[in-house]
Amino acid sequence: MPSPIVNPLREGIASRLTPEPCTLVIFGATGDLTHRKLIPALYNLAAEGALPPALTIIGFARREKTSEQFRKELEESTRKFSRTPLNEELWAQFASSIIYHQSPFDQAEGYTTLASQMDEADRNCGTGGNRLYYLAVAPDQFPVILSHLRESGFSTATQGSWARVIVEKPFGKDLKSAQLLNTLVSEVFPECDTYRIDHYLGKETAQNIMVMRFANSIFESLWDSNHISHVQITAVEPLGVEGRAGYYDTSGAMRDMIQNHLLQLLTLTAMEPPTSLSADAIRDEKVKVLRSLRPLRGDDVFKHVVRAQYTAGLIDGQPVSGYREADGVPKDSTTETFVALQVNIDNWRWAGVPFFIRTAKRMPKGGTEIAITFKSVPPVLFNRNGEGLDENVLVIRIQPDEGISLRMSAKMPGSSLRIEPVKMDFHYGTSFGKATPEAYERLLLDAMSGDATLFARRDEVEEAWAFVDGIEEAWKTRSDDLAFHTAGSWGPAEAADLAARHGVTWRRM
Amino acid sequence: MSFIPGIPVPIGGIEKKLGKLWDESGESKTRASLINLAIYNEKLGSLERNTEITRGIAGEHAMRAILIEADPKAEGSSAEAWITMHCYLRGSKGGSVCSEQISFQLAGMAARSLQSVVFSHLDSDLPLVLWWQADFHPPIDGKLWRWVDRLLFDSRHWKNPKEQFGLIRQISGLAEARTVLCDLNWARSLPVRQALAAIFDVPGNLSELQLLRKIELDHTAGSRTTAMLLVGWLADRLGWSLFNPSANPEFRDAQGNIVSIELRENEGASISRMNLASENAEFHLLRESGSDLYVTTAQGANIVTTTRILRAPREETREILLAELSRGGRHPLYTKAVKAVEELWE
Repeated sequence: MPSPIVNPLREGIASRLTPEPCTLVIFGATGDLTHRKLIPALYNLAAEGALPPALTIIGFARREKTSEQFRKELEESTRKFSRTPLNEELWAQFASSIIYHQSPFDQAEGYTTLASQMDEADRNCGTGGNRLYYLAVAPDQFPVILSHLRESGFSTATQGSWARVIVEKPFGKDLKSAQLLNTLVSEVFPECDTYRIDHYLGKETAQNIMVMRFANSIFESLWDSNHISHVQITAVEPLGVEGRAGYYDTSGAMRDMIQNHLLQLLTLTAMEPPTSLSADAIRDEKVKVLRSLRPLRGDDVFKHVVRAQYTAGLIDGQPVSGYREADGVPKDSTTETFVALQVNIDNWRWAGVPFFIRTAKRMPKGGTEIAITFKSVPPVLFNRNGEGLDENVLVIRIQPDEGISLRMSAKMPGSSLRIEPVKMDFHYGTSFGKATPEAYERLLLDAMSGDATLFARRDEVEEAWAFVDGIEEAWKTRSDDLAFHTAGSWGPAEAADLAARHGVTWRRM
Repeated sequence: MSFIPGIPVPIGGIEKKLGKLWDESGESKTRASLINLAIYNEKLGSLERNTEITRGIAGEHAMRAILIEADPKAEGSSAEAWITMHCYLRGSKGGSVCSEQISFQLAGMAARSLQSVVFSHLDSDLPLVLWWQADFHPPIDGKLWRWVDRLLFDSRHWKNPKEQFGLIRQISGLAEARTVLCDLNWARSLPVRQALAAIFDVPGNLSELQLLRKIELDHTAGSRTTAMLLVGWLADRLGWSLFNPSANPEFRDAQGNIVSIELRENEGASISRMNLASENAEFHLLRESGSDLYVTTAQGANIVTTTRILRAPREETREILLAELSRGGRHPLYTKAVKAVEELWE
């Protein structure tokens, strides 16, 4: 490992690792991700002076265009998607570090010329031989790119420098393909240089889950099966497939959302305190949660998981078509756009606590949250007659309107004893008015600094797939369990029944 | 006074009146508070200026603001108070988020009894940030500072920095004080320090840092202490010791080489230019007049010539205060920077 730069002027200026000079090569540079997320994130980092002083960005893609055209296109998209207004001078300076490199991914020659460009950047810009390769392409392109990176010697850093790879999700489509992909990546880059992005982990509130749990004594002492009745993790949106039908129909909600984002949120919610804040200490604890998930196989899947598809309905009062009517979706598609499942974590802390996970498209509104419902008070005193006092619920809102709320019971003013729920609400936006950085800003900076805490490790990804595969396998055996719900409704009756079997109702978002 | 900082209230009825204000404001307003921000000033008319400041920052940093205009040397004792709210629209539902403000005008004994008159109106359990806009007066009252979590002051406005830095050192040394010292002048220099540090993130440039021989620094007429703090910071970070305490001082580095400093008054940003010359290279930081950008350049033998543009924040009090409040934490390097140039304070 190269020794970190020790700049005495940096002490006390930033509380994070300083990103090192490097060349960032984005494969799939003409794609949506580059235009909507990566370049706007890099621009904002550059404007704040957070990027390393020497950074060259090489956009690698198949389409014919010049660097000038590429920069112009990026300027337009950054103007549209950046969280801060575009400053012409800053953009000009930032854009001068961007080069377009046209080549098919499968031609060795393209990598030879890439090598020349990277060497030139080292000589002219001081990028120091450090390389960060971002695979912003569909997974079927990974093998060809990775094998060329290996054959070109790009994955081996020279003395005193580093070579890292960022892999965008999906990390495979099942355990087998994930293992294949991971093996492929590991043959080229060691695990410590592999950064698997799950942008949910870059969100401020997701990062705050650990702070809330382990920096406040009041929560952790209640964070177990003695005090918690159940947990609901929800990520829903009013949008349909919106032009992603080709990918989505082969993926479905289970692979698109549950396997990565929601299981990551589950691990952050259920993990034990890590021994330190190092990347591996945290990821060790997260992976233990995944290993403790009770597997769902065969008939159990149909008892614990509900899948459904939306049909035509209304969103915000406007008619929307059903999933099967969307462009690119087969008329007989059985791909799920709604999943609700109940899982158990078989470890000491969580024995007997059901976790409910739900994700869906075309819901009446969007949002992502984790709701921890505490057990009811004993049936004495105020709860003696079984009058149904509302349980305490702690809600961690990931998006939108990031924040935390706690529902409690309080006496209504008056001479009679009437108890009603009240909500204490903390909104990030209310207390901290300033805009929070985009998840990709944090994640790109972390990758340049060599901090893998917010990236998924190989075993995390594979354990998550092992769990999801059991469900997918069972689904292949029949299709009559696929339920339907009207777009703009909160899901099928089967999902409500699933929760009701545990005496639970799904939360209204 | 011509400016009225809100609804007049008897000091004993402040909390009750605030509660009533909330009751009457309807459900569309949400009270928010992260800190108690008390601002103390001894100049007439300060309530108006400070109300502008709190209004400017409330939208980004919710708080209970407590403004104090004090005349501690007055005869007798008088105290008046006003309350108001600063509200901002938030979100698409039309709701407002509001910060409370309590303003005090105190004279005589009341002005010398901040703990009983003012600090009894803090929002409990939230930290107290006290912005002291006056000179510090000896003797230092340890009991007062025990209340304070963060003490803000601005050394740029001091007429006698030597005496004031001495008093600050006394406050920081109080056994009972847990106060974090925050000089807004140090916060003002942060973007310059960041931009300078970024120049030396490049490994080739970093080796030149130990070979610096001359520093030229342009500052505005009122920003000499800002410039001095920057010099103190460089001296501390690079292990220089002062041996010629003059208007253009000289230091020796760890190898005994002389590093000369030239401070020049100029118009524009508080720190508009820094030129750093080493044995082999030159480094420049420039903020053109009226520009919101820093341009840094590095050039010389054996280093890659680079030019970099960074966003330079506005130098308004609001921006500096917000940056300081958002940043939090202690400033261990500040004390070291002050000490490195303490013989230069006049």
